[in-house]
Amino acid sequence: MKNLKLLFLGIVIFLGFVITGCSQQAQKPQESSAVPPDIKAIKDRGILNVGVKYDVPKFGYKDPKTGKVEGFEIDIAHEMAKKILGNPDKVNLIAVTPKTRGPLLDNGEVDMVIATFTITPEREKSFNFSIPYFTDGVALLVKKDSGIKSFTDLNGKTIGVAQSATTKGAIEAEAKAKGIKVNVLEFASYPEIKAALESGRVQAFSTDGAILYGYVDDSTTILPDRFAPQNYGIAMKKGNDGLLKLVNSTLEEMQKDGTLQKLKEKWGLK
Amino acid sequence: MFETGPFALFKWEKLFSDWRIFAEGFFTTISVSFLGLLLALVLGLIFGVLATSQFRSAKIINRIYVEFIQNTPLVIQVFFLYNGLPHLDIVLPVFAVGVIGVGVYHGAYIAEVIRAGIQAIHRGQLEAAYSQGFTFWQAMRYIILPQAKIIIFPPLTNQAVSLIKNTSVMAMVAGGDLMYHADSWSSNNLYYGPAYVVVGLLYLSLCLPLARFADYLERKAKMNP
Repeated sequence: MKNLKLLFLGIVIFLGFVITGCSQQAQKPQESSAVPPDIKAIKDRGILNVGVKYDVPKFGYKDPKTGKVEGFEIDIAHEMAKKILGNPDKVNLIAVTPKTRGPLLDNGEVDMVIATFTITPEREKSFNFSIPYFTDGVALLVKKDSGIKSFTDLNGKTIGVAQSATTKGAIEAEAKAKGIKVNVLEFASYPEIKAALESGRVQAFSTDGAILYGYVDDSTTILPDRFAPQNYGIAMKKGNDGLLKLVNSTLEEMQKDGTLQKLKEKWGLK
Repeated sequence: MFETGPFALFKWEKLFSDWRIFAEGFFTTISVSFLGLLLALVLGLIFGVLATSQFRSAKIINRIYVEFIQNTPLVIQVFFLYNGLPHLDIVLPVFAVGVIGVGVYHGAYIAEVIRAGIQAIHRGQLEAAYSQGFTFWQAMRYIILPQAKIIIFPPLTNQAVSLIKNTSVMAMVAGGDLMYHADSWSSNNLYYGPAYVVVGLLYLSLCLPLARFADYLERKAKMNP
């Protein structure tokens, strides 16, 4: 009986923490010429924490040979640091996966996430998203010996997608439009989907085209189909409106002066 | 108060309107747990009893099974069942992967629990049974196991609790269990806060009564040894 009481006490205390932890109001930035508090916090720290991918070649990839993290999105992170702190090297890169992106933003461990993060209306309820800096489409990777030549050949087949990706909804909508039936299974990481494709658990591996190129090998091929344009945006915590403004103006500048285009060409992205 | 943050009110509303998704996962978790526990008990009983017999080969087989399963992570075993076996043209449905995965894994632990329970009973009991003309299996059934039961029950219920929690590895292989649906739902809309709190409470609602039951059995066993 005593144990039971202690346990309930524990649960009550835990819930108390949870409730008080999330009742802290998001600070409203002061509408004045002063530096908004969210930007001031970064300036005081002197380093920008950015969540990036380590497993997507050309976007954010840690090269196993050199140990360096590089890619299109990493370069954007440096541009942001240049704008906010005046020094492009003041960046602390933190590896995120689709599943950890949200929590890391919410608990303030990262200031922004630049990690092939597709903008959706539902997600905009939870986070601030910048204007898009890249547009991609959903693509499909299949085994060469499967005889699958187009999306419609996947009728009745199973498609593997990553959790936290918008792929599932896009595939379901596309299947409906084409009048075919497909099953969708979700996995936590891209290598797991690749393993499921190889073992025949799924007949296609689907995610954004640019990411998929990192997983092509001799036995697999990418179908020509592309659907559901995916707009990648930089995500920030809700309430950090000062930072959002700054990020958007930086992206706009980069579009105007051709920096963004140069970076895309540098990494071989259309 | 609940306007923003991971636990914002609108996220809770969305969760409760999508309750069917979680109910489906909860049902799968319960089914896999139940069947997995049956399999684990059968395996545990057979291998646990064999370990205490005089058949040398049986002892060796028991050791191989127990050591191999106990000293490799469940995650790898399930991954092998899911992605390894198809390369040998054995494609088990994912539900069976879950049942066999947790069943075989906890079977090894239960075998150890049962072996320890039997060995705690004085050897004289078995010899007395033999002298009365009992065979090994009869002695086990009528003399040894009823006495060992008292020692075996508490750690056995702990194994059952662990088994329920371990069914969550099915999330890794798109198993359609509670954890998979929580991951899937919360990762699509990023409303992870309410999702994991609710799922945690659902697991608690399965495991806590079992753990209390184990305590009760332990107390009962202490009172009438």
